[in-house]
Amino acid sequence: MDEPEPVTEEEFARLSDFLYRRTGMVFTESKRYYVQRRVTDRMAATGATSFASYFARLRSDLNGEIEQFINAFTVNETYFYREDHQLRCLSSDLLAERIRHRRRSEAVRIWSVPCSTGEEPYSIAMWLLESWPQVDAYDIEIIGSDIDTRVLLAAETGIFGKRALMRLSPDLVAKYFVQLDEDRWQILEDLRGSVRFSPVNLVEAAQTRPHGQFDVIFCRNVLIYFDDASRRLAAENLYENLAPGGFICLGHTESMSRISPLFEVRRFAEAIVYQRPMEGARG
Amino acid sequence: MPLIRKPSGNTPPPAPLSPVADLQSASADARWAAARSLTGEADVPALAAALAVEGDTRVREAILTSLAQIGSVPAAEAVAPHIRSDDASLRTAVLDALHAMPDAVAAGLPGLLGDADADVRLLACELVRAIHGAEPTRLLCDLLDREVEPNVSAAAIEVLAEVGGPDALPALARCADRFADLPFLTFSVRVAAERIGAKPIG
Repeated sequence: MDEPEPVTEEEFARLSDFLYRRTGMVFTESKRYYVQRRVTDRMAATGATSFASYFARLRSDLNGEIEQFINAFTVNETYFYREDHQLRCLSSDLLAERIRHRRRSEAVRIWSVPCSTGEEPYSIAMWLLESWPQVDAYDIEIIGSDIDTRVLLAAETGIFGKRALMRLSPDLVAKYFVQLDEDRWQILEDLRGSVRFSPVNLVEAAQTRPHGQFDVIFCRNVLIYFDDASRRLAAENLYENLAPGGFICLGHTESMSRISPLFEVRRFAEAIVYQRPMEGARG
Repeated sequence: MPLIRKPSGNTPPPAPLSPVADLQSASADARWAAARSLTGEADVPALAAALAVEGDTRVREAILTSLAQIGSVPAAEAVAPHIRSDDASLRTAVLDALHAMPDAVAAGLPGLLGDADADVRLLACELVRAIHGAEPTRLLCDLLDREVEPNVSAAAIEVLAEVGGPDALPALARCADRFADLPFLTFSVRVAAERIGAKPIG
């Protein structure tokens, strides 16, 4: 098959607008090559011979093309125990504060969003099992969510390569993984069975609300892809998904203070995080 | 293993049945939910009316986000008047919201930059950052050529230093001449001109 013609300026604008309306992600002219590559891939995968025919297929969501298209634009590379200072903060400060006035029958709920192929929610699970002294005293519910449905399938399967495991000690790998072959390890079935995965689009309240309220949300390195309007919307959705007094951890280059005044900044020894004020604490 | 897996999360709160009426509820939670659910063009008048009287910063934020999400010129026109507020937190919230609706803001910017109130003109300079293309340079140069208030000129120069192109250099030079007796402004002009001159063209 011949290489498709590059997308024109107008076609690029239509695609960017389509992506923005569906996901909140913004692709400016400087990302044109990135967009072009992915459109070319999707055109090849669907057998579309022109941009017009591909765009018609996309808009009509033929064979679930919208989901495939969005999947092609997400960035999924990550690894276990990434930004582990936040995990230390979770076990040393955040959870202690969350359980202070809580009955033992109430589960601790943690949300990893976006969770990519599962490294982050499994890291949280492993970290708590290893480092949180109260781990046996509470039910702990960990949910990983992502807009990309392909990565959710991979997360549920829980098979990882060397690169994803680079920050883990050999002891941890031996304890929580089964080696499948020279280059692949699978998370133990028990651990896989204890983390739930779900699709979510952070700018769609109809998708975020059913996840309920959490004690801690890890939302790292995704808001940077949104424009101001989508960021505000995502911040309000995340606010609703936090229990009063709950915490949200962002990526180290991100600041909620620049996005929304709804949260209070909390500085702990290991990390700066953001907190939904307790009810009535704010006028 | 203490980790558990449940079939689903908590039950989400039901959507408000009459959100426009709920905007006047005594409950801040009800007003928050109402504001978040009103995201259509037809909802702009109700949101605008609520914005004018809302005292809870959290609910106000939700109203502004809904207006930013609507993103139309009427939505921007509902937000922009509050840039004159005496309440600094409301002014900041309004500026943030207007930043999030750049296309709609662009239409109203010449009016704000020509406002009789110097404070409004100064804040409007900040909004110019939100719009794209050659328009920011033109708007700020037009302002610089007529502006009598040094602080407003300084705000425009600061923004021009970041977003302006080489075609801003003559207006900057004229501004420096007019305010030659104000060293801080001539210094600002020099810094801006150096930054603009150092930018790659194209």
